Amino acid sequence: MTLVEPAPEAPVAADLEEARDRDLLRRIGRADEDAFRELFRRYSPNAMALARRVVRQPFIAEEIVQEAFLAAWRNAKGYNEGRGSVRSWLMTMVHHRAVDAVRREESQRRRTEDAQAEDVLAVEDPADAVVAQLGLPEERRAVRAALGDLPAEQRQVIELMYFDGLSQSKVSERLGLPLGTVKSRTLLGMRRLRSALIEVER
Amino acid sequence: MRDHGWIEELIVVRSLGGLDPQDEHELNREMVEHGAECSECRRLEAEYVGYEDAAGRLAFALDPVWVREGLEDQVVAAAIRDEPIVSVVSPAERRERRGARGPVLRPLVAVAASLVLFAIGWGAGALTSGDDVAVPPDARVVVFEGESDATLALAYRPGDRGVYLVGSLDPRPEDLAYELWTFRGDTPVRGGCFRPGADGSVFEFLDAEIEPTPLMAVTVESASCPSAPTTDPILIAQGSV
Repeated sequence: MTLVEPAPEAPVAADLEEARDRDLLRRIGRADEDAFRELFRRYSPNAMALARRVVRQPFIAEEIVQEAFLAAWRNAKGYNEGRGSVRSWLMTMVHHRAVDAVRREESQRRRTEDAQAEDVLAVEDPADAVVAQLGLPEERRAVRAALGDLPAEQRQVIELMYFDGLSQSKVSERLGLPLGTVKSRTLLGMRRLRSALIEVER
Repeated sequence: MRDHGWIEELIVVRSLGGLDPQDEHELNREMVEHGAECSECRRLEAEYVGYEDAAGRLAFALDPVWVREGLEDQVVAAAIRDEPIVSVVSPAERRERRGARGPVLRPLVAVAASLVLFAIGWGAGALTSGDDVAVPPDARVVVFEGESDATLALAYRPGDRGVYLVGSLDPRPEDLAYELWTFRGDTPVRGGCFRPGADGSVFEFLDAEIEPTPLMAVTVESASCPSAPTTDPILIAQGSV
């Protein structure tokens, strides 16, 4: 399957998307069911992808997605625009729950073995081309490009922490690196990543 | 007291979810020691917002995954009713499944036992995940039988909406689904469509209300879920356990 890369969009589109998300969240704060459904349709495919990637069990991933969206419903009024985009806020809730599930289950070894053959940038998802068009394809292109521009050793530690749910000490063990090296690579990588993503939005 | 470089490193690791509990504790302690008047700490906290936003956006590097039909209604229903989500597996069951590879084909008795576990605490949306609480006396657990290795059992409570399914069935193409049927006399009544996961496992909540029925059946139908069965049953269940 060939990954479908959408045509680039104007940067202003990201602002419009974010404005729309914030409007949805305001309506959700007033218990607007239609707005909640729209938010779910818009981001559940991304949320499910993230949860599955971290926990690697579809049925647990589904629970995590449900919990995260319920939390969005219940805490919509608590969203602070100064703390980042709605989509990032939502994915952070998914990620926290996924990482918690991983740590609780204490079954990193098998997942790590699975992960060894999987690289976020290289893997072709079984989703078909139609599905690939979902979930903000422009954002996907931008984030992949930013990740791809990182030095491999920085990208590696970030992916292990974020996509595999490993703690810094587990990353250190896994790669056979001093903990200090893991931390410094993470810091350097995230600085670059953040700058690149900010640049994309300009 | 640690320097700000150490604090910044941990703040960034935290944005990726990479802190161990003891690291989190130590970071918080250091921030307290530096005090509210530490301008560099305040700057780092502001920086953390940017890192957290960047980390959240990493999720979009993944190809989106198709979300099964029915999940949206399930989440919306739970939100509107202000109920916890329905968890269909116990911790023990999760551990078992985590260790499994490929299709999980278990004896029917084990399937029924797992249903018993998740039938716990059904009432008032207070489903719990404990292993040692009593099964509500009015919960019905039904075990299906068929000619293949497929296993399926369901639990429901007469008068309540919600049917919980667990088992292992052959995965089907996207245009096909399994459909549950109860019977009023000789007339089949739709109980809802469902699809197993990629590994064949079934952990499904159907937003349907079914009444005690002497016969239930499962057929393979088109994904449009017809209102009457179009194929012969692959699984049937008589009575309840």
